[in-house]
Amino acid sequence: MTTPVALPPIRFFRVSRYRRLAWWGSGLACLLSVVGMVLCWMTPSIGLPLRPGLDFTGGTQIQLERACQSDCAAITVDRLQQQLQNLRLSPGPEGAAAPNLAAAQVQVLDGGRSLMLRLPELSPDQAAQLTDQITAVTGPLSPAGTSINTIGPTLGDQLLRGSVISLLVSFAAIAAYITVRYDRLYAALALLCLFHDVLVTCGLFAWLGLLRGVEVDSLFAVALITVAGYSVTDTVVVFDRIREQSSVLRDLPVVDQVDVAVDATLTRSLYTSLTTLLPLLSLIFFGGSSLFWFAVALTVGIAVGSWSSIGIAPTLLPVVGRRR
Amino acid sequence: MARQQGWIALILALAIAAGALLASFPLQLGLDLRGGSQLMLQVMPAGSISRVGGEQLEAVKEVLERRINGLGVAESTLQTVGDDQLVLQLPGEQDPSRAAKVLGTTALLEFRAQKSGTEQEMQTLLRLKRQATAVLNRRQARSDAAQTGGSSTVPARPDADFPDAELSKTLNQLGVTVPPGSTETDQLELLLAAVNSKIVALYEPAQLTGKDLVGAGRQQQQAGNAWDVTLSFNREGGEQFARLTQSIAGTGRLLGIVLDGRSISEATVGPEFKAAGISGGGASITGNFTADEARDLEVQLRGGSLPLPVRIIEVRTVGPSLGAENIRTSLVAGLAGLALVAVFMVVVYRLPGVVAVVSLSLYALFNLAVYALIPVTLTLPGIAGFILSIGMAVDANVLIFERVKEELRDGTTLMRSVDTGFSLAFSSILDGHVTGLISCVALFALGTGLVKGFAVTLAIGLVLSLFTALTCTRSILRLLLGYPALRRTGYFLAASASASGASS
Repeated sequence: MTTPVALPPIRFFRVSRYRRLAWWGSGLACLLSVVGMVLCWMTPSIGLPLRPGLDFTGGTQIQLERACQSDCAAITVDRLQQQLQNLRLSPGPEGAAAPNLAAAQVQVLDGGRSLMLRLPELSPDQAAQLTDQITAVTGPLSPAGTSINTIGPTLGDQLLRGSVISLLVSFAAIAAYITVRYDRLYAALALLCLFHDVLVTCGLFAWLGLLRGVEVDSLFAVALITVAGYSVTDTVVVFDRIREQSSVLRDLPVVDQVDVAVDATLTRSLYTSLTTLLPLLSLIFFGGSSLFWFAVALTVGIAVGSWSSIGIAPTLLPVVGRRR
Repeated sequence: MARQQGWIALILALAIAAGALLASFPLQLGLDLRGGSQLMLQVMPAGSISRVGGEQLEAVKEVLERRINGLGVAESTLQTVGDDQLVLQLPGEQDPSRAAKVLGTTALLEFRAQKSGTEQEMQTLLRLKRQATAVLNRRQARSDAAQTGGSSTVPARPDADFPDAELSKTLNQLGVTVPPGSTETDQLELLLAAVNSKIVALYEPAQLTGKDLVGAGRQQQQAGNAWDVTLSFNREGGEQFARLTQSIAGTGRLLGIVLDGRSISEATVGPEFKAAGISGGGASITGNFTADEARDLEVQLRGGSLPLPVRIIEVRTVGPSLGAENIRTSLVAGLAGLALVAVFMVVVYRLPGVVAVVSLSLYALFNLAVYALIPVTLTLPGIAGFILSIGMAVDANVLIFERVKEELRDGTTLMRSVDTGFSLAFSSILDGHVTGLISCVALFALGTGLVKGFAVTLAIGLVLSLFTALTCTRSILRLLLGYPALRRTGYFLAASASASGASS
């Protein structure tokens, strides 16, 4: 028979034994993220912690598909850029002069089958003229495979502000909910974890923006909010277990209570992350280009969230709780 | 048992209803999935109105709706967004530039008499205008002919061309600065714009506007291919028009027809109208329009002028085959992901795993049915939201089954374990779902188009997941446990795990 104060059997490991390792690991990841975002900020061509995409900067993005199957003639970025500068576009609405296309960014995708152009803001008329005139270099295009997105600068600002505000409001609302359901300490730790997860995800994309030119769009903001939701859910499951068993294990030190709770919820945490990651991984591998970076952001965020709910939030509880 | 059967009957009925719903109401696909264009218009404050409100937005929408109907665009929808924005969706392979042109203009039509004493200046300007227009038209015809591949049918007449030196001198006189590197066509267009604004400056303020129009039409000119736009006024407007024409008849001064501050036509009024002006309440604009231009102008005039100017702030166009590609890849990804999850659940959780797969299939069915019912327009982010909500639904099942396993390891009986598992897991499940829903509310209230679609599908998914995890999974599991043959711990827990659990 067991006495109420005896430590229940631990199936896997005692997380508190490794807590310094976990803290160092997370600290290092956060530091790298901050460094990446600062570097991004100091890069003159970016000037922000993350490289903003079309959604936030405004402009026109044109994706073209050439009407050739496997026998596409070779095409170079230089040739395309030259053609863009030679284009004749009509003046924009209200008599504004046609924008200078010298700063256009050109990408050749799918082995030359499709093209991605990033341009200053064009009117629908000008965009149509551009796709007409660029056929001199690309050969015939397939109109059904064309996608043209234009975002005005005011809308870009609006999208950015909307994304940041909805992010902050949802954080605050989640914190309020946990404070009501648990207590302030748990809410503070859950929020700390949430910031950790969001920071690391942002840091990764800051580095990707610096090294690979990856841009963040409004889908990235969606990914961040989802990561935040998952992070809190994961943390709450562990805290829920600590609270549930606190009456039985009242006489044990908090460190031991935490170890028991983490151990008991470990399988669930790992399985849940795994079952969420499976559809995301299939989005990454089979999902095509439009959702690729969205899926990457979610995958990283959820993996990090799972890590912090096991290694960070519970192990900090005894430390913070003692000082209260 | 009876209660269980009640639940099962309810679930079956819901499943059948969902299936029937899906069969009769097809899912609505967003433009990013079926191809099409989306234009977002921002209504700008002007004049005495410094903030655009719901009332002004509705007034703008009404005018734009009339214009769209006049254009004959198939299946288009125009919706208001927030306080000062409108979204127009054009499905299929339709050219957004035409719609942009027709929607983006204010279409304020004014009839203005020429100021007296400006005849000399007007003559010079009109000569310049005719010359520039003629050269531009010929160039256009030539480049059209070159593009269609045929030999140029329009003879080049160098005598009517604008010599370079004269062009730059004229531009200088008008005070136009030419950006470096612009072509002759660009310069001619700049010249034309400058001339038109000078002409407008020579008119008196407007005595008659498009407000008094009751109808507009178009007709082809008797000679040539050009089109005229015909106008008819209401009684008041007709009288105004008569007075206006009477005042300038025979004086050599012109009647200017000004659209959005651009002089589109200048007419002389002969001395025969000196007595009573042009009466009858009708007029026509001879602007040498092409058939399309005449039609667009007619649509704009008939729809009325916009009470406030609008600006196009977003245009998204997705080709139909790109849309189909999006559907295909998302479907493949979604199904592959779900298949992996199903395999995982069955391998790890055995009998309950199978039950979970069944209830998750029901969950997916209910989700789609709700999309068809509300209806939710499915977009790419919406599909992402759906796939993620499946993750949450699986999580609920994992939480429950882990608890059941724990109870079994502690030596509790099977039926008790199942019941305890459900009740203990409930609070974690609820917390997770509520925090998820809080995020959804924030996203929906503050986000824009794409983000909203994601929030809606995720929120529907979370609510349904609470229902299916707590009722479907539970009822089916308990129903199965009613059969003694299935009541074996080995169907829930690997033998080794239960042995080690029992020994410790």
